[in-house]
Amino acid sequence: MISSAICAKGVSKHFGGLTAVNGVDLVVPEQSISSIIGPNGAGKTTLFNCVSGFYIPDEGEIQFVGQPIQGLPTHKICDLGIARTYQNIRLFKQMTAIENVLVGHHTRMNTNWVESIFRNKRYRQEEKKALEEAFELLDFVGLSGMADTPAHNLPYGAQRRLEIARALASHPKLLLLDEPTAGMNSQETAEMTLFIQRLRDTRNITILLIEHDMRVVMDISDQITVLDYGVKIAEGKPAEIRSDQRVIEAYLGPGAAALSEKFSRKRTLHAVGC
Amino acid sequence: MLFYLKKGLISGLVFGIVFIFLMLIGFITVGTTMIGDFLGNLDNLSDGARIPVSNLLILVGLLGFFTGLSTRDKATDANWVQTILAGFAAGLLAGLLVGGAVWGAGTLHMQGVDFRKYLPNLCPEEMCFLMFYSTPMAAARTYLIYWIIFSLAGALGAKLVTIGNWSGKTLSKIKENVNKLTSAGKVKQILESKVGLIILIILLGVALYFLPLAWGSYWNYIMGTVAIYILLGLGLNIIVGYSGQLVLGYVAFFAIGAYTFALLTAPEPHGIEMNLLLAVVVSMVFSTLTGLLLGLPILNLRGDYLAIVTLGFGEIIRILIRSDLLMPLTNGPNGVTNVGQPFWRGHIFSDVNYVHLLMLLVLASLFVSKRLKDSRTGRAWIAIREDQTVAQATGVNTYRYKILALLLGAAFAGLSGALFASRNQFTGPEDFTLMVSVNVLCIVIVGGMGSLPGVVIGAFVLKGLPELLRELADYRLLAFGALLVVMMIVRPSGLWPTQRKRFSTSQRDSFDKDKAEVEV
Repeated sequence: MISSAICAKGVSKHFGGLTAVNGVDLVVPEQSISSIIGPNGAGKTTLFNCVSGFYIPDEGEIQFVGQPIQGLPTHKICDLGIARTYQNIRLFKQMTAIENVLVGHHTRMNTNWVESIFRNKRYRQEEKKALEEAFELLDFVGLSGMADTPAHNLPYGAQRRLEIARALASHPKLLLLDEPTAGMNSQETAEMTLFIQRLRDTRNITILLIEHDMRVVMDISDQITVLDYGVKIAEGKPAEIRSDQRVIEAYLGPGAAALSEKFSRKRTLHAVGC
Repeated sequence: MLFYLKKGLISGLVFGIVFIFLMLIGFITVGTTMIGDFLGNLDNLSDGARIPVSNLLILVGLLGFFTGLSTRDKATDANWVQTILAGFAAGLLAGLLVGGAVWGAGTLHMQGVDFRKYLPNLCPEEMCFLMFYSTPMAAARTYLIYWIIFSLAGALGAKLVTIGNWSGKTLSKIKENVNKLTSAGKVKQILESKVGLIILIILLGVALYFLPLAWGSYWNYIMGTVAIYILLGLGLNIIVGYSGQLVLGYVAFFAIGAYTFALLTAPEPHGIEMNLLLAVVVSMVFSTLTGLLLGLPILNLRGDYLAIVTLGFGEIIRILIRSDLLMPLTNGPNGVTNVGQPFWRGHIFSDVNYVHLLMLLVLASLFVSKRLKDSRTGRAWIAIREDQTVAQATGVNTYRYKILALLLGAAFAGLSGALFASRNQFTGPEDFTLMVSVNVLCIVIVGGMGSLPGVVIGAFVLKGLPELLRELADYRLLAFGALLVVMMIVRPSGLWPTQRKRFSTSQRDSFDKDKAEVEV
């Protein structure tokens, strides 16, 4: 039986009078690639922030491998095994690439500040191991030669990959990617798609992503959840979502579904970006 | 042509106004005195004697020369005529301005107007001096002629230096040779080898040991102050430079360290006279505890709010210390006298001993700071400084690390406070004003946030330089402020910006080597 990495039930989040997420159920199977899609302002990132602990949901329950996590501080959630990236890249800009990764590894290290002053054996061993792993991770994301480059000097695509490397350094079981291909050209997007698949296959990580590029979503997702105005309107395999009337309406407005009967299905979906 | 005329006139205007301003605030006397000190022609003057007029002429000449220099434009290569035109225009305008001002003021002075009513520094003697002890008209003429001649000299000098780029070429050649000598040559090899490093450290140690013996008690006092501020700077550097928490009341920890030490070791008012080493430890513990008390409730605040709250905290501590309420405990505004003095080989610590002790502590603190910076802890702090939210989501317990930074910073302040009290043999509430916090914060920022050499240099610049500038008397702070402004324009990220540790490829190769060896 495939167990679920994330099991959220009836999650709601209000901001004043605005209900950003409204009673959403979400089940992410382990070692799957799941996507959340939806028009702008649909509540995707809010849901993400609830899962990663940035927001405490007003209602509902979120379980991570069977353990409730709502209300836990973010560093505890990270320690449990959820890591994330950000829609607008948020690296530690003044730190070098390798240091960013080492900060990601923080939660898997144990030495304290006294040991770091005296540099005892445990400290040296741990630091060496962390460094080796960080170099490996940089290799994995294709940033081998840039270990000592300050993060803000890296090119855009490299910054995105460094964010993923930093997230991976905490040995996550679940990786949340917020628009990993935003601002990339088609070739970079294709590379990122392959990279995400490779991540899941080689590292046995569950991946949950928000994405606007429908080609990426349809290519790599095992399961897609569609949000609109904070409500889940559809869930299923890519093929099912492709033909869902409500999804088409959410993207193209009421009446679009009727139009899609008129025109060939393929053309309409092309407009959605599939 | 018009362009160069305009450039010359602007330079003339700026320098003319600067001179008039300096004249009005009475700075010219200070400037000429400094020139006199430099030339040594003031030594055999008796009290009340005049400063030689030649010094004023030198000052005017220098300013004129700079007027001419500043007309040079790097982007366009002016020809001889243009250069002369710009230099002449600059000198003419500046000369006319200054000459006119001196003539006007001088004429009024002759008619018996006393400027001291309006400008306290512009006394009659000063006026006579500014007129070269002659008539207003003659003085104005002298200023004009001098300014034109030297401005021309400056402009032409600048032109000569750039002509044919010969200087540029020679300069780059010299640089190349120096680089060759240092990079491929022996100097770098020596520096890089372990033996060289040890020799260097020994030399440095010997120098640090003998310097305080050689340079006298005045310098020992200044260097002791600098060292105490380095300690404070290193502490605040952990809080502000590493973890990015803007704490403005740092002086509170300093005060608590000093007072704890003083009260525990002085015969008055409590007569505890504790063992000094133990007292130092207790001082550090007390400041750390204060840090904990302050930090637990407020470290969830960010940025400006934290700054304001801690600012208030610093003042509260000082006011409490001098209050009537705590009078029986702290001796109030009178302060604590006869603070404990350490003994060394049977006699009380001399100024030299203090400087040696402070040097040792500074070195130890630098070592601790450096190790902390390059560790898991240091990385967590810097991550918090860069982006607190993300740092926490990346697994850093931000609250705990912020508290840790505050506690360590407070411990540093407690240590330096204890030494401060012991060295001065006295501690009073007025030693711990807001200015101390501001100064220490300036040290961290001016040196370069999070940079250890920056703290050391910053402390020398901010606490040492004002002593060197004592010559300028009342204008000390003016000159100091100007220096700071210029520095922040020229080097906005600090005198010695922080360098991230490089996990260079060499380190990586060693991993690969290790692996290869294992495989073999």
